[in-house]
Amino acid sequence: MEKLSTQHLLGIKELSKSDIELIFSTTDNFKEVINRPIKKVPSLRDITIANLFFENSTRTKLSFELAEKRLSADVINFSASASSVTKGETLIDTVNNILAMKVDMVVMRHPNPGAHAFLSKHIDATIINAGDGAHEHPTQALLDAFSMRQELGDLKDKKVVIVGDILHSRVALSNINCLQKLGAKVMVCGPPTLLPKYISSLGVEVSYSLNEALEWCDVAMMLRIQLERQGGDRKTEVKFFPSLREYHNMYGLTMDRLSKLKKIPIILHPGPINRGVEISSEVADSEHSIILNQVENGVAIRMAVLYLLAPGSN
Amino acid sequence: MDILIKKATIIAEHSSFHLQQMDLLILDGKISKISTNISNTIHKVIEADDLYVSIGWIDLQANIQDPGFEHKEDILSASKSAAAGGFTKIVVSPLSEPVRDSKSQLEYLTKHSTEVVEILPLGALSKGAKGTELAELYDLKEAGAVGFSDGKKSIKNPNLLNRALLYTQAFDGIVFNFPHTDEVACQGVMNEGETSTMLGLKGIPELSESLMVARDLNILEYTGGRLHLNSISTSKSIELIAKARKDGMFVTCDVASYNLLLEETELEDFDTRFKTLPPLRSNKTIKALIKGIKNGTVSAISSDHTPEDVEEKKKEFDHAAFGIINLQTSFAVANTALKKSLSIDQIIPLFTNGPAAILGIELPKIEEGSVAELTIFQPKKEFIFTKEQVLSKSKNSPLFNRKLMGTVVGVINNGKVALN
Repeated sequence: MEKLSTQHLLGIKELSKSDIELIFSTTDNFKEVINRPIKKVPSLRDITIANLFFENSTRTKLSFELAEKRLSADVINFSASASSVTKGETLIDTVNNILAMKVDMVVMRHPNPGAHAFLSKHIDATIINAGDGAHEHPTQALLDAFSMRQELGDLKDKKVVIVGDILHSRVALSNINCLQKLGAKVMVCGPPTLLPKYISSLGVEVSYSLNEALEWCDVAMMLRIQLERQGGDRKTEVKFFPSLREYHNMYGLTMDRLSKLKKIPIILHPGPINRGVEISSEVADSEHSIILNQVENGVAIRMAVLYLLAPGSN
Repeated sequence: MDILIKKATIIAEHSSFHLQQMDLLILDGKISKISTNISNTIHKVIEADDLYVSIGWIDLQANIQDPGFEHKEDILSASKSAAAGGFTKIVVSPLSEPVRDSKSQLEYLTKHSTEVVEILPLGALSKGAKGTELAELYDLKEAGAVGFSDGKKSIKNPNLLNRALLYTQAFDGIVFNFPHTDEVACQGVMNEGETSTMLGLKGIPELSESLMVARDLNILEYTGGRLHLNSISTSKSIELIAKARKDGMFVTCDVASYNLLLEETELEDFDTRFKTLPPLRSNKTIKALIKGIKNGTVSAISSDHTPEDVEEKKKEFDHAAFGIINLQTSFAVANTALKKSLSIDQIIPLFTNGPAAILGIELPKIEEGSVAELTIFQPKKEFIFTKEQVLSKSKNSPLFNRKLMGTVVGVINNGKVALN
């Protein structure tokens, strides 16, 4: 069996192009499986997977859990708010306690960037990153690229714009890494306060104008405005933009904007959607949007990743 | 102990023996004889390749939280680390628990000071280092405070700095500040730049430092007085300070040695040992800092020695404590970073005359009959720093297994000798 070049999936940065290709070809197989009447395969029988979510998540957690169950793995779930953990037990202790119950793989979401890299040095289990702060969310980027590829074929020289809150987004960073490895060109677009100052050092184009970005691109990925992160954590912190109304006026994707384009791009959104903020309902539900394909592909991508990284799987 | 130092090159600008290779005989804590060849009778002899001797070194920034966090470092363990690092005087931050904002707390420090390493305490600038009211600065000065500082708690309120700079002029006090604008740093954990963008870690922009430097210099221009800025780490700050000095203002600054050697790219693996404040900057900034040293804007290099226990460091990057232990390694770190740009007789004043001038203290000379306060070292000798060598109670050094250049043979002070 072909294997990935890494032991864990910490980020897209650690994957090679051939790793990504292998994940995609495995995903093709699993997509076929999950469209059968009997959706379950025994690939990960006797493998125990712990889903550790130190930050809220609905769809990523469900998607991973479903992928694990379709592969016949044994699954345990753990959710905790990061604050309750920082009050007492350390991350290493929490995870080691769970591993002591003979767990083979850990799927983890954590609010702090690098938490997975940190953990990988101190524990003995395969780690899959389901999001670490504003760092990476590799399975999301893989499913996004996979979904784009379904529509456009090879992504080489395809133009993708990522719109919105790039500063707080792990999806943006993972997508930039992934799309660049596949040869696509990437632009980020949003209010200057939500773009990291040194973002162009990653080799992406930068635009403050949504119309200009839409003219340029083949694919537009609309990011969720993370309402909980816009006010800052402290009273002294200044908001990144004045109001959702103004954000929508400047960066909201509406049919009106799309109708003025020569060529309408494919629309993605990693979810959950704030309808009427970054994207209008009309656009989200239109034929141009492949948002629900992304969700479907998410399960297959996660099955592929789990399968390829599982210890001794066959 | 009586000691004979053989064939050592003397680095002491104001001495007639400056840059000469000499034998030095130390008897009863004094330099009894300096000559090209002193024959050995019954003295302990120090002899080694490329041996150098200078006035004892001074460190401007040792963060020792004794009392309060003695398990991280106490005065004795800090003194041992300092002596091993070549220091005979260390300036200690007031941020212990409780904060050193009164006479008795300073007395605790000086009482526990060892003979070979003298503790020079800073008194808290504000009561409880809370940044609201001035501490009893005159009383602190009388009790031995060499200056006033709220340590790494930057002076937020401009009017507190205004009052402090005015008030201290009555007794020639020096105000220290660590320029760092919290509201701009915005809970950042590393330098804002390419690496932070790649890692998704919150960046600390250089602006958060230079903004406060600019404010402080504006206030200083208005008040007069003496201001020292700790741990300068941006080119813009250097530029502003150089201009202020040219305009005749009494402002000085130091750079932490690790900011000269280590770059932000060290953090690519989320290694918390490299999490420092000021954060490790870019290669370009390091060059600007070195330029600031060469042109005299920066007159001292500090260790910014910050002991932290493993619990504070073995954590998710966002939660881990800032700081490294560096008293033992500060000279080697600086020497390794500067050896291509400066000669050793340009580097040593950053540890001797530079900090002495900032503190306004007089140093003994290297002449026959003078008090022996000396550091003996081998600037060209390479070594690998290991965890086993650490004398500090904490082990948070990012330098383990790294090759550094410049070893310390020992220090002599107050008639005592500490040899490595």
